[in-house]
Amino acid sequence: MSTPLIIGSVAYTPNVVTIWEGMRDYFAGGPAEMDFVLYSNYGRQVDALLAGHIDIAWNTNLAWVRTVAQTGGECRALAQRDTDTVFQTIFVARAGSALGGLEGLKGRRLALGSQDSAQAAILPVHYLRQAGLTSGGDGGGDVELLRINSDVGKHGDTGRSELDALRAVVEDRADAAALGVNTWEAIGRDELMPGAFEVFWESPTYSHCNFTALPTLDDERVAPWVAQLLAMDFDNPAHRPILEMEGLRQWVLPKLDGYASLFEAVEEQGISPRW
Amino acid sequence: MVNPLLVLDLVERTGALPVGGTTTVPLGEHAREHETELVASWCERTGNELVGVRDGVATVRRGRSPDPFAELAPDQVPGTRLWIYTNFDCNLACDYCCVRSSPQAARRAVGADKVAQLADEAADAGVSELILTGGEPFLLPDLDDLVAACTARLPTTLLTNAMLFRGRRLQMLQRMHRDRLVLQVSLDSATPELHDRHRGARSWERAVAGIRIAQAEGFRVRVAATLEPERFTELEPFRAFLDTLGIARGDQVIRALAHRGVAESGLELTLESLIPEITVTADGVYWHPVSADHDDHLVTRELFPLRDAIDEVRRRFVEIRARADAAAQWFPCA
Repeated sequence: MSTPLIIGSVAYTPNVVTIWEGMRDYFAGGPAEMDFVLYSNYGRQVDALLAGHIDIAWNTNLAWVRTVAQTGGECRALAQRDTDTVFQTIFVARAGSALGGLEGLKGRRLALGSQDSAQAAILPVHYLRQAGLTSGGDGGGDVELLRINSDVGKHGDTGRSELDALRAVVEDRADAAALGVNTWEAIGRDELMPGAFEVFWESPTYSHCNFTALPTLDDERVAPWVAQLLAMDFDNPAHRPILEMEGLRQWVLPKLDGYASLFEAVEEQGISPRW
Repeated sequence: MVNPLLVLDLVERTGALPVGGTTTVPLGEHAREHETELVASWCERTGNELVGVRDGVATVRRGRSPDPFAELAPDQVPGTRLWIYTNFDCNLACDYCCVRSSPQAARRAVGADKVAQLADEAADAGVSELILTGGEPFLLPDLDDLVAACTARLPTTLLTNAMLFRGRRLQMLQRMHRDRLVLQVSLDSATPELHDRHRGARSWERAVAGIRIAQAEGFRVRVAATLEPERFTELEPFRAFLDTLGIARGDQVIRALAHRGVAESGLELTLESLIPEITVTADGVYWHPVSADHDDHLVTRELFPLRDAIDEVRRRFVEIRARADAAAQWFPCA
């Protein structure tokens, strides 16, 4: 038996244990066995990757960008979920608000998720800037920002702060909220509660999570692991529960140009490469 | 309009759960019906499960509960077999009868027409076996017609004490379909003492004679014994005796005494502890044949359409299993 690859993941829900135990079982007995280590936040996980404690990190997009910054671009992305290649940020307001687009936010308050959330904080500010809008807290700028830092450290897995941003809209503490498309799906889009929320702007698609490795990890060990990962089959009853819990139908090779907007946003906003 | 905060709470609370875990969300007093529908729609859409609503609080499970039918043997799946109590009167008055049958019991016969309709609808609803019981079915003057209606549609088992196989009743037996009918005879012991203590003097001797008559007439005979749970450790002499009667081991059915009907002791049985075996009497559709004279196990007074009754039993079974799973979540012991 070969030495198993050690995968790092952040424990943002109890199901992470079920998911990675399932993944470990799937790889058991194959050419590239694996085990896993869980971290409480992405900062700890990236530090562990850089220190060589783990071989591969299951990273969010911000963790990827920060790993790239700390390795001088030497790290590599191995694979991601099909859903990671078409992630979006959704801007929503109360139904009937008729904001018409990002420019409709001028003079209004936008609720954002945790400050280290790519989809619910960093990229939304980037999109405002691209639209020619300035933003800041306490009325500074064209758009006032209401930052709700309910789950800092879990960036990318910031569902709680995104829900809190929506609560701010319902309770008239904000005129609009920015959230990830996964949270928008989780509340049933605008189909489950017609008359509650409406989308007034959707971002272009971008890339979200990926498996990140350092160049020191041998291709001989990585290649069979990636091949076996990509072979997971949604139609296989043994694989499907794991894939459903992790939110994908198919593992795919990474779409690296999908991170361009986040690299730009991180640079514009002066976000540090470390925690 | 319903309160959108309800869905936000649902997403947050279920998101923090392991798969299979449950959480609750309170529903508003003034829009409870709409909010219940909203929770159900959200669960359907997101692959979660609304376990139930009680006192204005919805209980939701992360993910869906396992299919309770998948855990059952194929012949245990509710709706696979249909029991019919043809009548409740009996030539015996066994002291543990689960449905209080005796010579004094009212007949309460389903009737040949309804039995024929049940057989038709059962076959159409996917039932694969009919089981006729009583009372003593051979007290019915038209039992042969009734059995013929059943065997014409499905393989059938007829429960009897086998004590009445003579004269006109023997002729009825002789007219029954040997390839489509199994006779299941009640016999509790290898010697008369125990059997007769519960069922009456000389009943053992006449039952054994009846088994031999049925076999001689070319019928497959199954024997079913009703025993106190503590007697399950001493079965081999009884099985050896049944071997001498030519009863195949697979046709030797041993069942525990239930604390139902006139029985003073036995297993306590509830809807929760019984896998349902849909049972029809003249009075309605019941959860299980062992409790077909007990209102706490009544499913519906409507015999027809039979498919609706089967669907209702299956729905309740799923609900009971889901409730049990939820209770297990609520009461961890360690």
